[in-house]
Amino acid sequence: MKRSLLPILCCPVCKGDLELRVDAEDGDEILEGTLWCGACAVAYPIRDGIPDLLPRDEQE
Amino acid sequence: MNHPAFSRDDQVYAPAEDTFLLRDAALREVRPDDRVLEVGCGSGAVAEALLERAASVTATDINPHAVRSARAHGVETVRSDLASGLRGPFDLVLFNPPYLPTAPEERLDDWLEYALDGGPSGRDTIERFAADVGRVLTPYGRILLLVSSLTGPAAVRDLFAALGYVVFVVAEERVEGEDLIVLRISRDLCRISAGTC
Repeated sequence: MKRSLLPILCCPVCKGDLELRVDAEDGDEILEGTLWCGACAVAYPIRDGIPDLLPRDEQE
Repeated sequence: MNHPAFSRDDQVYAPAEDTFLLRDAALREVRPDDRVLEVGCGSGAVAEALLERAASVTATDINPHAVRSARAHGVETVRSDLASGLRGPFDLVLFNPPYLPTAPEERLDDWLEYALDGGPSGRDTIERFAADVGRVLTPYGRILLLVSSLTGPAAVRDLFAALGYVVFVVAEERVEGEDLIVLRISRDLCRISAGTC
């Protein structure tokens, strides 16, 4: 995902802001990292450039 | 879409007549400054067609194989149930939903189910989408929603009307015993401005 995507994302549960933590990037593409919802204390992963914003209890 | 086609390898709904009808309607509707969201993007064929035609294109799917496919087509993707992980705002929202009426005993227990199963009425996912889409849509935003004669288009229209939207048919095509229909949905601005019309 590009950094510019961050403002249009939200926590799928509380709709609050997410905080971006980058583990690996390639140019302006964030490949691995985390989107952290402080209100819910939940970390949503970014894997292979794709944020996974499913509620954590709906994971498969 | 009575005989839906799937890619066997990746469990993603392969582009079919419904895909192309929505894509062509979207190409007619899109404006260069639109921020576009496609919900339930599947392979990504519709979103990909808009990449050079809009200010931005973002796509979601609940199916992990689908978001990988769409990203491989150059589309910015987010794994999300409908628009639940998106804040927007978006000027144009596209959705080719699971719309086939499906009894519980007919359900498939895999990712293909998400692409097709509209619940007993065919409208379960459309109802969830309708209830939430206003949260991410700009005041003058437009929605293009693909439905089928099997889904009860009149009931879909009533559903959106009750939520304060106006609905027009902008494309129709008869395919194998069903009519595919693209609805253009926007806020009823007369109602927003408190009865000034």
